[in-house]
Amino acid sequence: MTDSALQKEQALIEGLKAGTEESYQQAVRTYTPGMLAVARFYLDPSSAEEIVQDCWVTVIDAIHKFEGRSGLKTWLHRIVANRCKNRLRSAQRDVSTDFSEALEPELSDRFNAKGRWSLPPKLQFHDSADTLMENGALSDCLDKHLSALPETQRSALMLYEAHQHRSDAVCNILDVSASNLRVLLHRARQKIFLMVDTFQETGEC
Amino acid sequence: MLMCRDLAEIASDYIDGELNGRKNLSVKVHLMMCKDCRTFISNLRASSQLLSAYSSGRADEEFLHRIDERVAEALNARKIKGTDSE
Repeated sequence: MTDSALQKEQALIEGLKAGTEESYQQAVRTYTPGMLAVARFYLDPSSAEEIVQDCWVTVIDAIHKFEGRSGLKTWLHRIVANRCKNRLRSAQRDVSTDFSEALEPELSDRFNAKGRWSLPPKLQFHDSADTLMENGALSDCLDKHLSALPETQRSALMLYEAHQHRSDAVCNILDVSASNLRVLLHRARQKIFLMVDTFQETGEC
Repeated sequence: MLMCRDLAEIASDYIDGELNGRKNLSVKVHLMMCKDCRTFISNLRASSQLLSAYSSGRADEEFLHRIDERVAEALNARKIKGTDSE
């Protein structure tokens, strides 16, 4: 984090400790998307929203014990993860994920028996990510594919790519091993690769 | 020898710099010789950057307002409690 980002975060933490509504509104807008991504790793969408709301109320008291050993984002994500795990324990549910295959079936089918490409990537994605995102149809398509990803893959991907956590922080928050996190990330990226590959060739989602 | 399929299996580890020296080198050697895999790695990297640019899990405004309301209620309750105990 840059010095100015650190100062901003420190000012926000002071605001939260002082209990100002404006600070909470700012923090809610900054951190809720990531907190939802964590909660949705464990729970269905409506339970995830419920947990995130409850967590914000918890923060009002808990922030006074926040010592800044981790960043505010990591601290909030851990609170959400712990609450979700408690809820799962009480409901006797477990999070199941298949970590056995490294390749998506659709990608796996694109290799021949010798392990060479039979259907190689069609085109190089020439545009930068920002330019690609300006394409409304592609952005909608990405939306659709991301929401169709298994929650475990989506959350790992969001925390790692969109919310820029380090691998060890994601493992800690989601309670997955480093090797399983690698599988989750790789499977999710392949799906996005396959989506853009098809979209660039056919213009269809 | 590393085949295209083997490379595809460890492509994310390569992109994120998670491979050990020997495996990393075998991927680099393969990439020097294989245009299709170079395109694959480049596109997989672009897919990853696309996701960084896209902040999904975007919470809708209505949900954020509901949180604001609950937080405001809890903050007020705390203030009232604080005033009572003075």
